[in-house]
Amino acid sequence: MNARRLTSTVWAVVLTVLYLFLLAPILIVLVESFDTSSYLRFPPEGFGLDAYRQVFANEAFREGFRVSGITAAATALLAVVTGVPAALALTRLRFRGRAAIEAAFLSPLLVPHIVLGLALLLILAPIPLTDTYVGLILAHLGVTVPYVVRTVSASLVSADPRAEEAARTLGASGLMTFWRITLPAIRPGLLSGGIIAFLLSFDETVISLFVSGQHTVPLPVAVLQYVEYRSDPSVASLSVLLVLLSVVVVVLVERGLGLRRTLRSG
Amino acid sequence: MGDTARRAPAGTAGHLVLDGLAKTYPGKDGAAVRGIDLAVERGSMLAVLGPSGCGKSTTLRMIAGLVPPTAGTVRVDGRDITDSPVHRRDMGVVFQSYALFPHLDVARNIAFGLEMRKVPKTELKRRVDDALSLVRLGHLAGRRIAQLSGGQQQRVALARALVVEPAVLLLDEPLSNLDARLRSAMRDEICRIQRETGVTTVFVTHDQQEALSMADRVAVMNHGRIEQVGTPEDIYERPARPFVAEFVGRANLLDGTAGDPDGERTSVELPGLGTVSAAGARVARGRTAVVMLRPHRIALTAAAPGTGGARGTVLSAGYAGETVAYRVRVGDTGPVLDVERPTGAQRSFGPGAEVELSWDPEAPRLVAAVEDSEPAEAAEPVRESLS
Amino acid sequence: MTADPADGPARAPEDTRAARPATAPPAVKAPPRGRGPGRLALALLAPGLLALLLTYALPLVWVVRMSLNESEEGGAIRQTLSAATFGHVLGSGHYWNVIGQTVELGVLVTFFTLLVSYPVALFLARTTSRWRSLLIALAVTPLLISSVARTFGWMAILGTQGVINKTLTGAGLIDSPLHLANNFTGVVIASTEIYMPFAILAMISGFGRLDPALEHAAASLGAPRRTVFRRIVLPLTLPGVLTAALLVFVLSLSGYVTPRLIGGGRVFVLATEIYDEAITALDWPVAAVLSMLLLAVFGVVITLYLRAQRALEARFTGPREAGS
Repeated sequence: MNARRLTSTVWAVVLTVLYLFLLAPILIVLVESFDTSSYLRFPPEGFGLDAYRQVFANEAFREGFRVSGITAAATALLAVVTGVPAALALTRLRFRGRAAIEAAFLSPLLVPHIVLGLALLLILAPIPLTDTYVGLILAHLGVTVPYVVRTVSASLVSADPRAEEAARTLGASGLMTFWRITLPAIRPGLLSGGIIAFLLSFDETVISLFVSGQHTVPLPVAVLQYVEYRSDPSVASLSVLLVLLSVVVVVLVERGLGLRRTLRSG
Repeated sequence: MGDTARRAPAGTAGHLVLDGLAKTYPGKDGAAVRGIDLAVERGSMLAVLGPSGCGKSTTLRMIAGLVPPTAGTVRVDGRDITDSPVHRRDMGVVFQSYALFPHLDVARNIAFGLEMRKVPKTELKRRVDDALSLVRLGHLAGRRIAQLSGGQQQRVALARALVVEPAVLLLDEPLSNLDARLRSAMRDEICRIQRETGVTTVFVTHDQQEALSMADRVAVMNHGRIEQVGTPEDIYERPARPFVAEFVGRANLLDGTAGDPDGERTSVELPGLGTVSAAGARVARGRTAVVMLRPHRIALTAAAPGTGGARGTVLSAGYAGETVAYRVRVGDTGPVLDVERPTGAQRSFGPGAEVELSWDPEAPRLVAAVEDSEPAEAAEPVRESLS
Repeated sequence: MTADPADGPARAPEDTRAARPATAPPAVKAPPRGRGPGRLALALLAPGLLALLLTYALPLVWVVRMSLNESEEGGAIRQTLSAATFGHVLGSGHYWNVIGQTVELGVLVTFFTLLVSYPVALFLARTTSRWRSLLIALAVTPLLISSVARTFGWMAILGTQGVINKTLTGAGLIDSPLHLANNFTGVVIASTEIYMPFAILAMISGFGRLDPALEHAAASLGAPRRTVFRRIVLPLTLPGVLTAALLVFVLSLSGYVTPRLIGGGRVFVLATEIYDEAITALDWPVAAVLSMLLLAVFGVVITLYLRAQRALEARFTGPREAGS
């Protein structure tokens, strides 16, 4: 006995090692976030919440959090407002050039952010909109709209278009049908698209690097600049806090807006 | 044509009247619907029967206003509604997928049409309750759609369409999403509800049993045209065209040569079977004619020497419980006929058995002359042969 | 039968005729309905298209335009239409080095990422364990954490004071710390981990043809496990692997954060070079030319991918018509 057991043991070992590799930086970040030393070292000198205190004391982080929050909220809102009608047209209407326009809406996903960042710098700098909220939001819009279009289109495709027709035959006008039938049907896609847009914008580093300056510095850029010159555990603590925050946001949105219920009944 | 008991033209009594209704989709060859003329009497139930792709659903969607016709008109009570928008048409539609609103419960689904009509709250409540009890779902008012079975969803869809008291009820393949047992129960249920409400109803189906058992009248469609309209009995017993004979029930279609007319009947020379006298369509002497023989109307007896009937050889016998399905070759080189005999008292035959075929004189029907192969154009010669 | 037999078939077609007024042929309507959807579609698409135009299409056109300008002494830009900047960049050994290192990094990272992701993806696609969804969630958890933070984690692992070196020296296995950070090796290691979740996701969704019944069928036909893997599993999973390869390669070509932080200023790839030219050196024409070169490499990679994909698909669907 038994080749079979040997194979499965080998599998288990290989998978454990690979998972460890995959999760290593996260685990280290978690451990380091409680380190009390003033620079990065292993093993940690001692465990405490000093690093977390430093995060809140850091003016650049606090300001960056505010800038990223405002930018991400505005970007998500704009992405939803522009993306939802586009998704409606792309899934519910037949018109010439539909496939080409659909491809155009997804194409920003193909362009490297380093190129897009440069491109936005070149066009925003002369206006000048670099280092402003407007510039940041515009810069983030192009890369978030495709996600909204995609998630909303997916909900629209899975929702029965006959339900909209049924509403029409029951006397609902086009606008009423959208409001009473289509919008509730696409709510899951709309929410997840909006959340994805928010998180992407909040997390966007490379494009922001090009279009931000000294005054409007989003959090990832502030962190990057910090890490370049210093290596103390407060960045680890900040990362842990951000993960917790994004989990809290997702859970709250899900609870508050009944995402789960909508998903289950749909 | 010197016929006697002709009905009044259906158009004058029609509640819902289609006139030359046609639909051509851009970029596609040929028309989906090629000019439908149809009149549905008030309070009656009409089935539109045809194979998939024959244009029946497009026709229904044109009546509902969901598809704009390329030509023709739709009239209800004499009023032309061809250009009215969907939401002002007053049509109750039950979709094949039911198209219930997943985010609303049963009662709110049913109330939707009343809300659109701004029906006052108390009346709305009463009418929703009435509709729920009409479809016997009073106990499920608060349920979510996802919690309902297929049959219950079907009832909700019916209630939602009927609660607004539509001029016409349109059903698109109403039973196709149900399993076999539920289907026959829902069939009776739809008939009961239609009788109780007296609403003029059009339903579309590809299932001939559904059409024959539920409808007052059946319109058989093929290739975007109506092949025949009539009572279920007309359609089954007196098909006007080969397509109808084959699509509704099983049929042996035999090509022969028309002989002399004999009153209402025509004698037809069938190769291998001799001369039969068949009622039905008129075919000029010497022209090719098609004779229909339903498999269950052919009797088989053991071949005995001396009798003069048609003889044949059993090629195969398939036992199917209530009946046995035979394939019988007539003579040595004649046509192969499908024959269906009840099991039990009847004597059964095995492959190779020599049998004698017989039928009562009313069994053969002359369905039409043989036309050119393009079925879509087939309707025209019949009309000519009739007029 | 009670009805007059002659009445049946004769009556039926007559009915369909009766509804039509004897004189008028069906009126052909003018087609005003055709335009509706087009105009509505345009209205619905307009905000989105405008957003794309302003924030994506127009800026990219600007890059192309900028690549044809020249920079002068002191950082001024001369508006012109020339290939001089292209010539300057392509004539310089430094930039060729950067391109070479970018491609080398992409190839190595792609190779290692596929190597470590394939077993995980294969396991996740096939397992029926009740831990499956937890394990999938764990595999994509890193995506929740910004790449800056994960790169920071790798700095803590690979640095001279990091986990690996401290552990190894502590155990007496090495005397002087290994050089794992601030160089090319470190960038490859960290990038491999950073792109792993993407590769796993792409592979799982590309493993749709994998069906346990096929493996059982092969085994029942007498194939040993190794042969089942080589003849059944590997060919069926190849499309997913190919997609993952494209994704990882494209991501690593344009990756900026990891080369900059782990590279410690010693690893030069197109992405870091574009940033430095644009922000530090303020030489926008050169940055634009480098962007065009990055896009060109992209184009080559995607073309190769599409070729390979077509060849793979042909095995399942039969060869396409020539010339397609």
